[in-house]
Amino acid sequence: MKVSYNWLKDYVEFDETPEQLAIKLTEAGFEVEELYSAIKEFSNVVVGIVESVEKHPFADKLSICKVNNGKESYQVICGAPNVATGQTVPFAKVGAILPGNFKIKKAKIRGIESFGMICSKEELGLEKSSEGIWAIDEKIKAGTNFAEVLKNKKDYIFDLAITPNRPDCLSMIGVAREIAAITGKKLKHPKIDFKEETHSDVNDYITVNIIDKIGCPRYACRVIKNVKIGPSPEWMELKLESVGVRPINNIVDITNFVLMEYGHPLHAFDLSEISGAEINVRKSRKNERFTTLDDKERELPENTVMICDKKKTVAIGGIMGGQNSEVTNATVDILLEGAYFDPRHIAKSSRGLGLTTEASQRFERGADPNGVIMAIDRAAGLMAVLASGKVIKGICDEYPKKIEPQKVSFRPARVNHLLGSSLSYKKIIDTIKSIELDFVDNHVIAPTFRVDLKQEADIIEEVARLIGYSNLPTLKTTQINYSIEQSPLENYLNFIRRNVLELGINEAVTISMLKSTEALFFREGEPITILNPISDDMTTMRPSLIPGLLKAVSYNLNRNQSNIRFFEIGRIFKNYKANELPDQPYSLCVMMTGNRITPNWNSSEDQIDFYEIKGYLEAFLQKIFLDNFQLFLYDKSSYFDNRETILIRVKEREIGFCGKIGTDITKAFDINKSVYAFVLDLNILMDLINTSRSFKPISKFPYVEKDIALVLEKSILAGDVLEAIKKTAGNLLQSVEIFDIFEGGNIAGDRKSLAIRMRFQSEERTLNDAEVDVIFRNVITQTTKIFNATLRN
Amino acid sequence: MLEQIHQIKKEFETDISSIEDKTGLEEIRIKYLGRKGKVSNAFQLLSDVTKEQKPEFGQYLNQLKKFIEEKYDTICKKFEVEGELKSIIDLTLSGRKPFIGRKHPLVQMADEIKSVFMRLGFVIEDGPEIETDYYNFEALNIPDNHPARDMQDTLYITNDIVLRTHTSPVQIRVMEKSKPPIRIIAPGRVYRRDTPDASHSPLFHQVEGLVVDEHITFADLKGVIEAFAHQMFGRDIKVRFRPSFFPFTEPSAEYDFNCIFCRGKGCRVCKNTGWVEISGAGMVHPNVFKAVRYNSEKYTGYAFGMGIDRIAMLKFGINDIRTFFENDLRFINQF
Repeated sequence: MKVSYNWLKDYVEFDETPEQLAIKLTEAGFEVEELYSAIKEFSNVVVGIVESVEKHPFADKLSICKVNNGKESYQVICGAPNVATGQTVPFAKVGAILPGNFKIKKAKIRGIESFGMICSKEELGLEKSSEGIWAIDEKIKAGTNFAEVLKNKKDYIFDLAITPNRPDCLSMIGVAREIAAITGKKLKHPKIDFKEETHSDVNDYITVNIIDKIGCPRYACRVIKNVKIGPSPEWMELKLESVGVRPINNIVDITNFVLMEYGHPLHAFDLSEISGAEINVRKSRKNERFTTLDDKERELPENTVMICDKKKTVAIGGIMGGQNSEVTNATVDILLEGAYFDPRHIAKSSRGLGLTTEASQRFERGADPNGVIMAIDRAAGLMAVLASGKVIKGICDEYPKKIEPQKVSFRPARVNHLLGSSLSYKKIIDTIKSIELDFVDNHVIAPTFRVDLKQEADIIEEVARLIGYSNLPTLKTTQINYSIEQSPLENYLNFIRRNVLELGINEAVTISMLKSTEALFFREGEPITILNPISDDMTTMRPSLIPGLLKAVSYNLNRNQSNIRFFEIGRIFKNYKANELPDQPYSLCVMMTGNRITPNWNSSEDQIDFYEIKGYLEAFLQKIFLDNFQLFLYDKSSYFDNRETILIRVKEREIGFCGKIGTDITKAFDINKSVYAFVLDLNILMDLINTSRSFKPISKFPYVEKDIALVLEKSILAGDVLEAIKKTAGNLLQSVEIFDIFEGGNIAGDRKSLAIRMRFQSEERTLNDAEVDVIFRNVITQTTKIFNATLRN
Repeated sequence: MLEQIHQIKKEFETDISSIEDKTGLEEIRIKYLGRKGKVSNAFQLLSDVTKEQKPEFGQYLNQLKKFIEEKYDTICKKFEVEGELKSIIDLTLSGRKPFIGRKHPLVQMADEIKSVFMRLGFVIEDGPEIETDYYNFEALNIPDNHPARDMQDTLYITNDIVLRTHTSPVQIRVMEKSKPPIRIIAPGRVYRRDTPDASHSPLFHQVEGLVVDEHITFADLKGVIEAFAHQMFGRDIKVRFRPSFFPFTEPSAEYDFNCIFCRGKGCRVCKNTGWVEISGAGMVHPNVFKAVRYNSEKYTGYAFGMGIDRIAMLKFGINDIRTFFENDLRFINQF
């Protein structure tokens, strides 16, 4: 909402400079988003008299002028067709700076020297486009600084952010009322003074019948006859322009002026276009269409309030008038409408139509039902003065059920209770009275223009903001009488995050909405889609963290960063349920591609493979003390490759997957390298991990190591062999591991050699060779038997 | 005899001070300490002195030998050490670095904000990102016809299920399950139907705070926000509260901090105002208490919010919010 500094002064005599006022308005809850001078800055422009005009010898459209600045004459080349001898003009001398930092210099134009410029209004920043130079009507002394000439046009514009609860301040008077309250001055309402024509009555011209009494609680109108349509006087045009309204003609300008002044939308009909001398206010019918005055045919949403005459619709109530009844240059008699429409109705219709107007905005947020007559009378008075209209006696006012001011129960003591302040009773009451609220019998009476005051808290806010939030106390030492509870989920997620970070993996944060094609790869249930997506790129809630991280990997690969390790922790969304929230568990995904080790001057080019990601998975699980996991081959997991993927299970619960991302999927993300990942369901994991530790003494006794190399069938899993050894060897076996795998050489094609190292140790004594040998021989006998293996020599 | 000893010592000192490498050192060893070296030769001279003089000269000779040997050993060790360093490493070659993991800057920022509030006695709470209309709007006193509920602004899953537009629904969930006193913050992802550009993202992060108890006042709210500003950005940062409007608070405020770059003096970042807008706050609206069956006569409370992305952009000087979600390693590695 734009308001003008000069215009505000019509209603309240404040002393503040524009800058001071801007601060006070912001502190009172009307944030000044911008404050600017209505006139753009220029310098060295004076009043000049055109002494002579001659044709330029080498250019048809140019003239050579002599311009006198009161002291001497200058030769100036001018391109405007309207330049003439004797004109009083704005003259920019050499050295002048015009708006837009346009510097005037001595110039040669088609061979003739020019010392300055005769300006148009456009060049002075006074209008958007001008035809020709500005010939000033008044006689002003040559040489006068032109800034002086524009002094009465000097103005400042405040662009205010009016919060949606304050429609009353979408008007000059509304803002002026607030200024009066915060500066301690009095609000002056404009004088409404006109004589009614008494020989006829408004009821002779019009009858109003409200059928939709909910959509339109009040409809009033006046008739103004014999208006002379023409331009508005300059003062009104200037005011309208200053707040961004384009002047059209005196009648339309008056309704707009009153809209800006009082914030109450009015509409002027051409009375001759209203048939049957009647106005009917009804609900729209199904599939009804109507052409608004912007020449657009619109389909009306149901329950839209329509203004109709006997035969046809003439306006969409509170939103926009119709083309069929608008005021034109031929209009003689005016039907002036002032009505009050229900905010909810207007909101619905405006949204349904996709049409927001100055009127709809104010009705939607809440106009003043009891401000209707004042607005109509103000406009009628102006029409009498500015358009020589004859205001017919009386107002046709249909207002079946008067809307009374709100009575809000209010205990002044509650102000200090909620604000922590110590304001006096008198101060509180004076403050609320400063904005035209009344306090009677423990109730605040809120005028109907204050649609936002419904409860005690609303009144307390009025006191708080008028006192100023910065003048209210701040409690420096907040007393904390609360037991500091833990936030278990927060602590857990931090624990997980820290452990992944310690493995040297970067954290990513990706958008939780995917392209539908990216979610298609998810095969475990219906993905959750958005009814009204922003774009095709964001239609589906992520059912997995994998697509988002693949995008991040792809983004980096495309920028020549080839060694990538990412993880993300976040919610994923799955299992759509009608009328219920879907499952939204926290998930962890670790993803990597590129070199196994950071590239260096002596590093090898080993690429990450399955065993790399598996190593990271095992390291991670070991770090979080989850050692009772089991792994299974798995070929049905979304996003993963069928042959290189394992399922991770703990205590019969599936916690995630680990392996290679399917090549078709990486391709779809424009990646042509192998990508490996593991995903874990963090909600399930949270139940399974146990981070409480107790110390187990470390053996002081030496260990004995024994190696064997078993040659056995390739298909035998290493893990099975190790399990068998553990079982056979008993509890003196401290560890067993594969330290080499060999194929080929003198080993048969379908067989491999597993080199296995066992370490034996007791926590109580030094082992002797003999007892270890017994166990070791037993291991050999058992494993060769179970796996049909031979010893490699 | 004594003179000869002095002569040898002098000559040795000259020789040893001018040697440059191990070869030179070896030559000196042979010249002085070798079997036919100057020191052995000097011992030969003992046979020429009288029996009485022998102990005295012997002592001198031993001192000379010890002196030369010690000097030789020191220089020798010095050469060994220097020689090893020179021949084995190039300290300018980079070492074999492990991969480094960095926390995403948004998460770092969230952690910092959370830790400040935890020091102020707040408990961290969490809630679903896909929310019901009831928790996201209705219980927060946002009426049916409110523009925020428009399909233009909010992403819907069904007519009654939305992507939460703020973390305020967590307030309601917490108040439903527990009685005052309440002192929580709810950080997390929120969604708006905004087309991505430099200052808008359909996904961003918020921290919402809620305190409810008997005798909680606006002064407490101002105190907590000020404490946060001071802990986060320094004690010289001033806080400004301005009246505003939110359906779920009354009185409502917007709060600004002194610009963290110019500390309030005015600069390009704050458009010369000295202030940067942080977010909204206010006293919990009685209708919100009504929705969770709290007695608004007995209890009062305040709520506040702030955007993690916005604070991170300010703090790190990032001017495009989309940068956070691209996950460019060259970006992440800067934090």
